[in-house]
Amino acid sequence: MRRYAKKSQTRFLSRRQWLAMVGISGTAAMAGCLGDDDSGDSDDTGDDTSDDSTPADSDSGDSGDSGDSGDSGDSGDSGDSDDSDDEDDAFSDDDDDDEPIDELPEVSGTYDTVTSASFETLNPLYNTEAGAGTAIGRTIDQGYTFDDNNELFPLVYDMNTDDGGMVWVFDITEGLEFSDPYGSVTAEDFVYQIEEVHKSDWANTASSATWGGINIEQTGELQFQAELENPQLLWPQTFDPLEYPIPKGLMEPYVMEEDADGMRQDKELLELQFTGNLGPFVLSDWTRGAGTQYVRNHEYYIQDIDWGPELFNGAPYFEGASISVVEEQASRIGALQSGEADAASIPPERFQEFQDDPNVSMYQIPQPYNTIISVNMRDNGWTTGPGNLFRHMEFRQAMAMAISKQDLIQGVYRGRAQPHYTWQPRFSRWYPGDDSIDQFGSSEQYGEDLARSKAEEAFNKSDYDYRFDGGDLVTPDGNQVELDLYHSAGQDTERLTGEFAAQELEQNLGISVSVEAIDGVRFSNDYWTGTPEGGSATIDGEEVTWDSPAPQNPGPRSVHASEDWDMSLVFGLNTFPQNPLTNQFFFDGPTCFYNPVGYYPEFNAQELFQQAREAETIPEMKEAFDQIFINVAREQPYIMLTFEDDLYGYNPDLVGPSEIFNNGWDLPAWHFEE
Amino acid sequence: MGLGKYITARVAWAGIVSLVIVTIAFILMHFAPNPAIQQAATDAALQGNDPQEAIERAEELRGLDRPIHVQYLDFLQNVYTLNWGWSEYRSQPVPQALLEGLYYSAQYSVPWTILTLLIGPLVGVYSAINMYSWKDHLATGFAFFGFAIPNFFFGIILLLVFAIWLGWVPVIYNPDVAVFSLENIRQLILPVFVLVTGSIGGIMRVSRNESAEFLNADFMKTAKAKGVSPMRAYAYHVMRPTMVPLSTTVVGQLLAIFLGSSVLVEVVFGIPGLGRLTFNALINQDTNLVLGSLLVFTFIGVVGNLIEDLVFTILDPRISYDDR
Amino acid sequence: MATKKPDRFDQVDWDEFTDSTGLSISINTKLMLVAALPLVALYLFDRFRVGEREKTFPKLGEDLGLSGLFETLGLDYNPSNLDYLFIFTIFVFLIYLVLPLYQNPRMTKYYWSEFKRNRPAVVSLVWLGIVFVGGLLGPLFIKRPEQDILRGHQPPAFYHISENHVPRCLGEVSNGRCHGTWAHPLGTTQGGKDILDVIIHGMTISMKIAFITTLIVATIGITFGTVSAFSGGWVDEIMMRFTDIVISFPTFILFLLVLYIYGATLGMFIFVFAIFSWGGTARYVRSKALSVTEEEFIKATNISGASKYRIIRKHVVPNTASSIITQLTLLIPGFILFEAQLAFLGLGDSELPSWGQLIASGRSDLSFAPWIVLAPGFVLFLTILAFNFLGDALLDALNPQAEAEADK
Repeated sequence: MRRYAKKSQTRFLSRRQWLAMVGISGTAAMAGCLGDDDSGDSDDTGDDTSDDSTPADSDSGDSGDSGDSGDSGDSGDSGDSDDSDDEDDAFSDDDDDDEPIDELPEVSGTYDTVTSASFETLNPLYNTEAGAGTAIGRTIDQGYTFDDNNELFPLVYDMNTDDGGMVWVFDITEGLEFSDPYGSVTAEDFVYQIEEVHKSDWANTASSATWGGINIEQTGELQFQAELENPQLLWPQTFDPLEYPIPKGLMEPYVMEEDADGMRQDKELLELQFTGNLGPFVLSDWTRGAGTQYVRNHEYYIQDIDWGPELFNGAPYFEGASISVVEEQASRIGALQSGEADAASIPPERFQEFQDDPNVSMYQIPQPYNTIISVNMRDNGWTTGPGNLFRHMEFRQAMAMAISKQDLIQGVYRGRAQPHYTWQPRFSRWYPGDDSIDQFGSSEQYGEDLARSKAEEAFNKSDYDYRFDGGDLVTPDGNQVELDLYHSAGQDTERLTGEFAAQELEQNLGISVSVEAIDGVRFSNDYWTGTPEGGSATIDGEEVTWDSPAPQNPGPRSVHASEDWDMSLVFGLNTFPQNPLTNQFFFDGPTCFYNPVGYYPEFNAQELFQQAREAETIPEMKEAFDQIFINVAREQPYIMLTFEDDLYGYNPDLVGPSEIFNNGWDLPAWHFEE
Repeated sequence: MGLGKYITARVAWAGIVSLVIVTIAFILMHFAPNPAIQQAATDAALQGNDPQEAIERAEELRGLDRPIHVQYLDFLQNVYTLNWGWSEYRSQPVPQALLEGLYYSAQYSVPWTILTLLIGPLVGVYSAINMYSWKDHLATGFAFFGFAIPNFFFGIILLLVFAIWLGWVPVIYNPDVAVFSLENIRQLILPVFVLVTGSIGGIMRVSRNESAEFLNADFMKTAKAKGVSPMRAYAYHVMRPTMVPLSTTVVGQLLAIFLGSSVLVEVVFGIPGLGRLTFNALINQDTNLVLGSLLVFTFIGVVGNLIEDLVFTILDPRISYDDR
Repeated sequence: MATKKPDRFDQVDWDEFTDSTGLSISINTKLMLVAALPLVALYLFDRFRVGEREKTFPKLGEDLGLSGLFETLGLDYNPSNLDYLFIFTIFVFLIYLVLPLYQNPRMTKYYWSEFKRNRPAVVSLVWLGIVFVGGLLGPLFIKRPEQDILRGHQPPAFYHISENHVPRCLGEVSNGRCHGTWAHPLGTTQGGKDILDVIIHGMTISMKIAFITTLIVATIGITFGTVSAFSGGWVDEIMMRFTDIVISFPTFILFLLVLYIYGATLGMFIFVFAIFSWGGTARYVRSKALSVTEEEFIKATNISGASKYRIIRKHVVPNTASSIITQLTLLIPGFILFEAQLAFLGLGDSELPSWGQLIASGRSDLSFAPWIVLAPGFVLFLTILAFNFLGDALLDALNPQAEAEADK
């Protein structure tokens, strides 16, 4: 069931690096998009502001949206002009929330949310879960967030670079205080945290993998700087440099002893007793397995910052807050209906119902996490016969053409999802535009004939005699091609998607697909990741060497996980619309960091990513990315299916939620209408 | 063999049984993949180190590189010294986690047990008195209904009707309300109701059949002839002897239901009790907590059976201690 | 139950007493062999001759040159290992349980007259008959339900729901309400599977669980119980202490543990249920066996020099059979319920068309698509109820004095 799928998932993929990269989307996918069936944390909706897992937070549905606004309803064929407008908006600077307001709202009520998975730990140094990230974020802010214009909004610190992303200067906000006896937040606390804890080889914190090779230096009472190995213009967007302020005095005893267990189990860290004025609320109670309770923090520092919306001046506007762990989806929704909860995620088939319900106001929020079929191009893939056809681009294209995105979206997501053609959602500024990319599986590029003729092209390239025999795709031996498709156990949406894909592949390509449920952890351990061995291979006449193999790319195609598998829906991935450069981890060549499926790009990915990295202007960058995403759309390294929207219901009296990707960044300003 | 000796033997036996179960659990967990080790390998690889080395180091750190019998002895020692370790999944010591779970489980199991023990025999005797009348059929029908309706199925339907549609009881279980408060009664009434209907049937049937025997016994006739009031006669001459055989079956039955149903009822009603704790520990592969809760359940089971036997022996002096 | 206290001396089956070789084969056993041999042959054929991606029956037709015949019969069934076990169990059930009833018409008549006084039990028997036949034959005629997402959430015939909840309404739409159709008399799941079809396939699964588990439990339990009772002394002591341990297992928790670690396929379910559930039966059989041994006729047989095996086989087992059957009948609903509970917790193969999986899959949609939970829930409820009524009635009919004990 989703609960554990999600949880265990996060645990395994624990490194923050990983989170930021795969986004919890991995989780999301496996967790099945709580959107529809409650996977994980969902219901925290408006809280990304402050937690570790901003990307993760949204994991609820791996989705995306054509426009960032509510043109939701019309699935398959959005892409109307509005989108582009919005897009542009998103990057221009008109802040319209700075309108003057006469009077600050009154503090009233409690903000009660529900979540499906209980928190493993609230220790900010060790948490890797989205849900717990939200729970921590109620009491303590992280470095920064992204506002409704997708721009960096400094909270605990601001980050700037003036040499193209090589050296980043962190300016810590003034007036930040820990609880007694730890005093003010200074640069020293951060430098100590990074140098002595994250970079140590004993502590194994959540972000231990993100700071390696980065040179940290304190340059003032409230200022420090980080020098990267390679310039990264969009470093903050990776969420790598996102940390919580933790008092040096608290960490010191454990650092002396190199006592990782002690630090993990420290009561002050676990129960967030050091948070001073650093967050909107103070944790009053954490009942394991049942949730957390908070009371308002009267001294929240955000009231005094001068760069936020005026509404922040009296923040927060709730007397308290709570997060309840409710495992049953029906109960979470019921709690929203009965007013016991102020926010909950809603499955697509009930979206319309609640839209008509005056007790709930509905929001459809685009997401950058995708739903994809990973096809195994390594030697342990294509278990049906010789000559792995997945390795042929044409065959992957044929598969994409065989699955109708429109029917999928209509049937499974009830229209609340967007088609996924290339590795960017439509709302991204980096989306190359509908006309420039292949749209496999759209109404024009879908169908049996198209798919079969594409598949024939792949057969011609193959060394083996695959062919269509009657309706069936048959192996050289004359048997029908039979493939497995794994999905996470307990994920209804994912299972439905899998069964639909199986049906389509059977009908349009004559492949017999068996859809099998698998536990997320087991899949990750035995199928998705292999023991890194490295090695080298000749690809297109060039010798390629795996110098730094990772479990997600253990080496050439001959190196693979212990179990055989053909196709999987278990993991969805983040497409990083905010920082598309991160996608180099997926695509910049056979040796890229994250390549469980053994994809070898047939376009010059490394060069294009290099171009994007070195671009000095945004248009230059855009040009490089356009090329990349056009090629990715053509090559279908993963069979891309959909971006699923997050669907949330809120208490109608609540003022604040909005239908943008960064929904919740301004949680401190949220309040109840009187 | 005297009573004292018998009890000693029984207690010793209970200890052996729990040892065997704990051993089986240890073996099962030993052969399950350990996510912590896997993670160490991943981490190492991410940082460019040798994953194999990391696996070895992680195993060394946890003492998993030692021979299995050493690990086992170590494990046993920890079990019996209550050094049950740290629960990764809840970030608290295992005994504390179990106590917290027990705290919430007890809040519904105590009223449930009391109600079952009160209502079950009463309805059973009532049924027996009115045997084969429509009252008897109604009571029997109810017993069978409760017996046969799956708890979780009944639970989700009641929750939908009474919490979501009618709004009479809260949807979300609130762990922070006082134990003896109206809110707590409101939020526990459904789980207790579901459990009582589930467990009452068995007890009712036993007491109906048992008491039927006593209703026609000579001493009842004598009592009636003497003019003892019917209520008094039923209470003294039917209820009391019925309780003896009943008490022997009750413990076992309640235990069986407790172990099984508590997980489902807690999942359905969102109670953070022992059942859900165990289940979540299991699926999150929190080894320490799984073993800990297994120990608790084994303990409850073994002690329950022990009490059952002892009560039986004490209540019914005809039983010889040698033959059980 | 063949020789239970004959009323008249001339009714005693003297063959049983004169035949002292101990190796004679009864007609039932012969029949069993006749039935089991082709099954074993088919199993071996399946095992060694049929390729992994081939289907058993079409292949058999091919090999026998009867493809045409098989095709006209629509035989393209591909049994799994569990199916073989299931069919074997059914044979055992028919030959050792149903056939003896036919062989002893007098006894049968007596039992039946006792039994039919209990009306709920008769109704239960009819219901279980439906489930049994449906489970046995249903899958031969009804294809395994497949999903079709565009047909999701169709309401049952005579029911209608808001159009908002349905991806594409198959029936007529009026006032924004989608009406059900006879194409799906009980409606469909979220994935568009026909509920009625799933319920019928669920019958097979419940029957498999009921029969196979019971057979294993009975085999282990009876062997253990009788051997223990007859060995006496330290063997008895050890065996019964071992049984104690099995009974003391926190069964449900161990189910979770084993199934979670080793995967929860249907075969695993059955295996685990059986392994942890025979303790009660063993104990019960032992006590029955002990009390039967006290009977005069056993002593007589003993004195006349019959072997121990023979006494057990010919006298003890038949004479305890009725109470054992009753006891097992009351165990079955527990197994079916366990499967449903575990499915509800998300353990188990969600592809398995079992009632529990259906309930689990519909729980989130309960408020607007109640049929997904209610239909299988009701069937599950009725089946458990029927087994209980039946067990109760058997208790009365076969063995009135056992009533109290069996309840324990």
